[in-house]
Amino acid sequence: MDIRQKVRQFLSSTSGGKLIFEHESKQFLRELGAGAPKGVFVPRGDPLPSAVDELRYPLVAKVASSRLSSKSDAGGIKLNISNREELLRAVAGLMQIEHAEGVLAEEMVPPGFEVIVGGALDADFGPIVMYGLGGIFVEVFQDISFALAPVDEKQALWLINETKGKQILRGVRGRPPLDVNALARIIGIVSQLITTGFFEEIDLNPVVLFPDKAVVLDAKIKIR
Amino acid sequence: MTTKKYLESLFCPGSVAVVGATESPGKLGGIVLTNLLGVKGRLYPVNPAYREVMGLRAYASIREIPGAVDLSIIIRPAAEVPELLRQHAGKARFALIVSAGFAEVGEAALQEELVKAGRESGVRLVGPNCLGIYNPRHRLDTMFLPHACLKRPGKGNVAIVSQSGAIMICLLETIGRSGTGVSKVFNYGNAADIDAPEVYDYLAEDAETSVVVSYLESIGDGRKFIGAARRLADKKRLIVLRAGKGAGGQAAAFSHTGRLAGRYEVFHSILREYGIMEAPDYDSLMDAAKALSFQSISTGKRLCIITNGGGSGVLASDECMKHGLELVPLPEKSSCELRSVFPPFYAIKNPIDLTGQVRTDDYRVALRAVRDHYDGFVVIALTGVAGVTVGLADILKEFRAESGKPVAVHIAQGGIAPRLCGLLEKAKIPVYPSPERAVRGMAVLLGNGGQKHD
Repeated sequence: MDIRQKVRQFLSSTSGGKLIFEHESKQFLRELGAGAPKGVFVPRGDPLPSAVDELRYPLVAKVASSRLSSKSDAGGIKLNISNREELLRAVAGLMQIEHAEGVLAEEMVPPGFEVIVGGALDADFGPIVMYGLGGIFVEVFQDISFALAPVDEKQALWLINETKGKQILRGVRGRPPLDVNALARIIGIVSQLITTGFFEEIDLNPVVLFPDKAVVLDAKIKIR
Repeated sequence: MTTKKYLESLFCPGSVAVVGATESPGKLGGIVLTNLLGVKGRLYPVNPAYREVMGLRAYASIREIPGAVDLSIIIRPAAEVPELLRQHAGKARFALIVSAGFAEVGEAALQEELVKAGRESGVRLVGPNCLGIYNPRHRLDTMFLPHACLKRPGKGNVAIVSQSGAIMICLLETIGRSGTGVSKVFNYGNAADIDAPEVYDYLAEDAETSVVVSYLESIGDGRKFIGAARRLADKKRLIVLRAGKGAGGQAAAFSHTGRLAGRYEVFHSILREYGIMEAPDYDSLMDAAKALSFQSISTGKRLCIITNGGGSGVLASDECMKHGLELVPLPEKSSCELRSVFPPFYAIKNPIDLTGQVRTDDYRVALRAVRDHYDGFVVIALTGVAGVTVGLADILKEFRAESGKPVAVHIAQGGIAPRLCGLLEKAKIPVYPSPERAVRGMAVLLGNGGQKHD
């Protein structure tokens, strides 16, 4: 199945509005070959699904809403949930947030090196893919680079090497090198998705890098 | 028909009409006609008020001209232009609209009408709101600037493609002064029809052009632009300067990709992705254009600096690092050779410092000793000392001829400096007003083409 067909199928299965629910986006990205934390979606008003028992604590719980632009600004993220009781309390609390449509409970990812991968439609160039350092670095250093989408893995590696942060990825001062190939794969996936024309914007922020994997921690995908 | 062949009759028209030509030397129609009097091709003034203009038979309308017209230059008030253009149907291939008063002042509807009239009449448009074309080999000059105000550069190998007329004039001035010349010059203003990519494709095939300098404000269809720029950069040296870099350098907080789209950074990244040379500013654009119009691109990154001023040598050295050029030490053999002939107070390392007590011939001796060990040479001559003479020009010219390697020069201070600069540039050795700019010129010649400018 080519990427356009996969996207069509995916879009027919999504339940929200223009902004796709995080758990649906992550599930789709996982199917395409990107790493994302294991998680379970709890719809508003439903009891905890049994699948929650298969998750490994600590967990993180995030409010799901197609009308909230920033989960953290709304107090919509609870970290370090260490047992079922705490999870129940966190879920109940998050459901109180205005416009909450559910809660995503997922395995918490240990701290790692944060980067951003994005896709957008540029006024001049059409579909483009963006890569840059994430977290506090994106604000301060603006160490970002762009390429025409789609990109293959070689071009994705070029894009990664365009930023000054490439030295950190290679491993500095005794730190191990990070999984650049997994990152390149994610860049490639985002570039293919934005090229289909179905999406207005894709924002994977952050993607967390480890020596042996790259994990999409948050995904905002907006339908065109 | 290929772009090359098609646009040939725009850049080298066999017949030119001037719609709105007048006798009056103060009016645009008079200036343009005056500047076109020498054009290689038939010239037809069009103005219903005259029977004759500047000794040429005038025509009441474009339709009355016998035979076909390759290029019609229209200099009439904006509101009249669409209707005038319709009269060109079946008569003219290209219309160059000098007139302003279209989209640039908010008259988007009038411009649309113009485009429609062009399409329906089968006439391709240049402009509106432009100076148009200068092709010295064809003596085609559509610019409404009297020669007394703008001296035209002579024939050369540099093409200019500029969205802005003002910047084009500055580029012509700078190129004229630098001792280089131009092949084709194109200012396309509002770009209602013919845009930069189409002209890039033409210049890629133009035998007279080896360097293309392009000033852009907007790029229209980015994919089309990149495609044409890549095809051009494969065959010629293309250097792009983009205006409107916006607030990118400031700490504008952002968190998602959508807000970044359309920004200068996107353009910058994509140019780098495809290896298209971008100048960070006007001076760099001109410095690169001068270097490339004089000498061809060479490979390697080992640079030797030969100076007669310590400080200038240090500044040049500092600049090398930014461009990935390596100031490798002199080989032992060269050092010994130079130590045996030079006074003990000369610094025999890289940079080689011939000091204020230099004699012109020392440059020859130094260059010969290091010739085979480096890829490029930056020569610095401060003319405030008695030992530097105009003979340096011949030394560098000979060195270029025998080594075939790139040489860039920084000359400063008074005395013989202007004469020396003139002689060097005549010998196709680029001269720059600062040590850093000489190194940047060399960096371009050694192929990293501003790619490390950050």
